[in-house]
Amino acid sequence: MNTEGDVDSDMECSDNECFGDDSDYYNTDDIDIEQVDPSKNDPEYFEFECLTEEQVERLLNESVELLSNNLQILPSLAKVLLHYHNWNVSEIIGKYRENASQLLINSRVKPSSAPASNNCSRYLTCPVCVLTHSSDKFLSLNCGHLFCKGCWTIHFEVQINQGISTGISCMARECEVLVPEDFVLKLVLQPNIKEKYLQYIFQDYVKSHPQLRFCPGPNCQVVIKSQDTKAKRATCSKCKSIFCFKCGIDYHAPTDCHTIQKWLTKCADDSETANYISAHTKDCPKCHICIEKNGGCNHMQCYNCKYDFCWMCLGDWKAHGSEYYECSRYKENPNIAHESVHAQAREALKKYLHYYERWENHLKSLKLEKETFDKLKTRINQKVMSGRGTWIDWQYLFTAASLLAKCRYTLQYTYPYAYYMDTGPRKELFEYQQAQLEAEIENLSWKIERAETTDRGDLENQMDIAEKRRTTLLKDFLDV
Amino acid sequence: MTSRRILVETKNLSKDPPPGISATPDEDNCRYFHVIMAGPKGSPYEGGLFKLELFLPENYPLCPPSVRFLTKIYHPNIDKLGRICLDILKDQWSPALQIRTVLLSIQALLSAPNPDDPLANDVANMWKNDEEEAISVAKSWTRRYAVMDS
Repeated sequence: MNTEGDVDSDMECSDNECFGDDSDYYNTDDIDIEQVDPSKNDPEYFEFECLTEEQVERLLNESVELLSNNLQILPSLAKVLLHYHNWNVSEIIGKYRENASQLLINSRVKPSSAPASNNCSRYLTCPVCVLTHSSDKFLSLNCGHLFCKGCWTIHFEVQINQGISTGISCMARECEVLVPEDFVLKLVLQPNIKEKYLQYIFQDYVKSHPQLRFCPGPNCQVVIKSQDTKAKRATCSKCKSIFCFKCGIDYHAPTDCHTIQKWLTKCADDSETANYISAHTKDCPKCHICIEKNGGCNHMQCYNCKYDFCWMCLGDWKAHGSEYYECSRYKENPNIAHESVHAQAREALKKYLHYYERWENHLKSLKLEKETFDKLKTRINQKVMSGRGTWIDWQYLFTAASLLAKCRYTLQYTYPYAYYMDTGPRKELFEYQQAQLEAEIENLSWKIERAETTDRGDLENQMDIAEKRRTTLLKDFLDV
Repeated sequence: MTSRRILVETKNLSKDPPPGISATPDEDNCRYFHVIMAGPKGSPYEGGLFKLELFLPENYPLCPPSVRFLTKIYHPNIDKLGRICLDILKDQWSPALQIRTVLLSIQALLSAPNPDDPLANDVANMWKNDEEEAISVAKSWTRRYAVMDS
């Protein structure tokens, strides 16, 4: 019925409405979705799954089965090979075809020298406990080093109690051969130690698997899986922890894993200066009354003299119009190369403090905005009670508050990025975009804290601007 | 099981002591050994007699013995508390090793210091930068602290 449709799309539309045929409606909808493919538009787009322990177990077992069927080896040996090769089945098979014996030696399944020859006498003395037992009480790995079962068991128990699982090796001196899982499980009978062993070995397997990460949340058992091992934002479906998939610490775009590590170490080292900075109060630049910051917004209004100023630079807020907003930019002394070492050191400290203060300030603002969130609830309750709008009318404020948190979070992590950037046009562009983002965020924060009506147009506009600034900055500078 | 192993080792140590080393168990504690080690020939410790203590932990021989120098010694892998940096006393321990092998390894460490894997950083730096001076300090420490007939 739609054959004429492509002649005139308006006609087609009305046709569909008339006849109630919505097959084409869905078709066009599909095209719409394709147009906004998030993997291309959203610089933070990341595909991942949250798996339970059982699901991970199943996933690992698939690899084990595949390899043990392919090479005709025991599953427990396949596990040793997989753990050693970071679960890369095709790499193992390739190496096996090339030189099986070398692969087994390198993976510590076989000894590098010929296995120890054992005499077949009926009684043997165990070199560990120096007791003589009948030879059926003795066991060895591929390396042929015989020890009595009792000593093996105690060896495993001691190692497991030290947290060692996949790394347990033969007891013989300088023997590198690893003990496979089934060998350990056959001999360790105490249920609590067996339990521990299974837990440690599972952790080792997950840690050696490039596509798997434990959720870093406290006591969280969830494992995140992604094909893509980039420094992207992963969110645990269970405990809601947000972290970087690559390094496992708090998500840190646009800064990369290496830089954020450097920055965090630096901040921890410079705790003395940090203490000095973290004084929570400042004086009003106009009337000099002492002000404690109790909200997230950096646009301050002195309750005494009503002066509007910026918490960061203590400058007049009027000068913070988006084009002139320079508060986030660090102004380097251009003649620094000619100054004394002492002055250079002071300049270096000044530079660090500039970025640290801002980093720390946004962190604090984020915390304070959590309190604002609670205050919002009470405020909305009051409004609803006094008949000004319904609960649903006020919901937009929560959406706005969580968007604000997201934006401020990114802004916080732009400071370490800027600190380690080389001076040049790219840094200028970065700091320009950063300033723009900061200005919009402060606007948004101000508006949320003071939203008095259900009129959401203005606020939603502001939300849109802030989020656009954030994605623009990430698109240009997030490089993972 | 451990007591039998300790018994056998103790007997062997007294019957056939390793050259330049004596290890005798404490009267009250069969897991604690008083060790005297002669400085190896050709090393800066030659002529000295060094006292050590050796303790076999509960899990011995699944865990390594604890060994410590009691006599002051100038050596890049031995710190001022007498603690020894030696792989077989840590992660390279094997239950097939014995008190005898451990003490022989320590003796070998005296002959061949390893300043690239240091425990005492200042000593190791000296050893790397000015070996001659380091050896002369080691010799003078040996004379001062490890020669008993003074």
